[in-house]
Amino acid sequence: MYKGRRLLIVTFLLPALLMYTVFFVWPALQSMHLSLFEWSGFGEAKTFVGLRNFEELLDIIEIDVDNQFPFLHPTFRDQLFWLSVRNTLTYVFLGGVITFSLAFVLSAMLSSGIRGKKFFRAVIFAPNVVAVIALSQLWGRIYNPRHGLLRNFLLLLGQDELAKTSWLGPDHVLMSTLVAMSWIWVGFNLVLLLSAVEQIPKDMFDAAKVDGANPFQIFAYVTIPLIWDVLSIAVVNFGITALKVFEFPYVIKGLQAPKEATTMAIRNYVVGFGRRDPIYRLGYASAIAVIMQILVIILIVVFARLFRRETIEYS
Amino acid sequence: MNQKARTPNVKTRQLTSALLKELKRIHLYILPVLWALFNIYCVIWITLTSLKTNRELATNPWGLPEAPQFENYTRAWESANLGLAFRNSVIVTGASVLLILVFCAPAAYALSRFKFKGSGWLTALFIAGAGVPAAMLIIPLFGLTQNLGLNDSLPGLILIYSVVSIPFTMFVLTGFYSTLPSEFEEAARIDGCTEFGVFWRVMLPLVSPGLITVAIFNFVTIWNEYALALVFLQDPEKLPLARALYGITSSMQYTGDWASLFAAVVIVMVPSLAVYALLSERLIEGITAGALK
Repeated sequence: MYKGRRLLIVTFLLPALLMYTVFFVWPALQSMHLSLFEWSGFGEAKTFVGLRNFEELLDIIEIDVDNQFPFLHPTFRDQLFWLSVRNTLTYVFLGGVITFSLAFVLSAMLSSGIRGKKFFRAVIFAPNVVAVIALSQLWGRIYNPRHGLLRNFLLLLGQDELAKTSWLGPDHVLMSTLVAMSWIWVGFNLVLLLSAVEQIPKDMFDAAKVDGANPFQIFAYVTIPLIWDVLSIAVVNFGITALKVFEFPYVIKGLQAPKEATTMAIRNYVVGFGRRDPIYRLGYASAIAVIMQILVIILIVVFARLFRRETIEYS
Repeated sequence: MNQKARTPNVKTRQLTSALLKELKRIHLYILPVLWALFNIYCVIWITLTSLKTNRELATNPWGLPEAPQFENYTRAWESANLGLAFRNSVIVTGASVLLILVFCAPAAYALSRFKFKGSGWLTALFIAGAGVPAAMLIIPLFGLTQNLGLNDSLPGLILIYSVVSIPFTMFVLTGFYSTLPSEFEEAARIDGCTEFGVFWRVMLPLVSPGLITVAIFNFVTIWNEYALALVFLQDPEKLPLARALYGITSSMQYTGDWASLFAAVVIVMVPSLAVYALLSERLIEGITAGALK
């Protein structure tokens, strides 16, 4: 029996483990290694440059200090990289706030016993089953400055000045993209949060109401603590997803990713594989990837600390 | 009293009182209703737009198309060879999901039902992959697939899709397996079942809800994916659907044929939504079950 068990474990585990090691773990390690080199990808010549790629990425040429907010205006050696960092972190933090606020509000509404809950949940979740590229084109169309849905809607409301806004232009494309992506993310997190909220026994809410708690207090002291476990998974998952964003902003304007909405993942792709701007600095691109990975790790560690707590059992 | 004459009155009264009760809570309906209306309108709008001529897009944004331009659909279908793309998607997605299940179902079983030395570490290793951005993998993987001759091939893409799906799949499956009671296993062993038999006859049927969830989730993800296909496939004949749609968005910029672009978007969107309409309960249950465990 014991020998049979050993054999079974090995046979069952080996295929997945092998495939994973060769095509996932090893390449990840190779990226870390590659980030220390300068390599065009053609030919074998890789030059070891140590941490120079990282220095270049993080290099600040000069800092302008002015007395207005936000005080420091650094000029980076790689402006496009830092633009992508700004954009990525905007998606993570601002996107997180917007997404979870709306998801919470919607789950509160849907869990209050109104009719059609399943219908609303299904429709709001629906964007998550459609290809992101299709959704990106849809929103590209909504935001179109000449015949977009948003523009026509604003004209309908008589907002002629507002209708002239170039939603996909450099000034607004970041927020426009963020709003569109939040529209997708809210649906997903709504489903998670709703299922968690519905797990809470009704008497908890009743007891709180009897004690005279207003909706905000109920939310802070009853809802949040009791969905803590699911909430922590949802938040960490969101953070990682938002950090990895690539598909939506890459195609929102069709041909080229708008640099005001570009993410680190897009930057990594363009530097490594870019077809239109052949940069071909694979070591440099790998350095970008390593920085992304470090950010993910920081995010996970911080959130693990924040969310650490014992699980609650219902008596 | 005439019993039959009473029933319609009672029903109407019930409906009216229910409606009045809901009206009191109308503030709770506003956001969900607006949101749902918006989503539904988007689908309608994009479908209507896809049936207009390119000039109508500017001149007649709100109304119905004068004459439905079904040629937009044939143009989109033919210019990007969407029939072929559909076939590619079926092959790639189906094979990937199958491969994922075949590799991960046994592996997760081995890791979560047998607490051997290092099983915890290996599980953590598998799951940790979820925190690895694709950016960390694509450059070395590109070199690796080239060396193996798998570059620009459907089997290569299938392999890559399968591998990147491992962390999430293992996360769900190991979680699922660990919730299953061990009495059935032990009973089967006492009855003389082989170890493999225990897996095949006892555990697999028990874990099948988890397998279905994972299969559906991976299917949807891979079917809709275009970024990895962008990196690893160049041959236009091998492109799956989402990747083909990306090709159309690029070429459309040159031709300015927006209406056909939307026809293509509809072609990609509608089947997903149709299948979703049938399966939505299942899918949502699966996600919530995975998160709650």
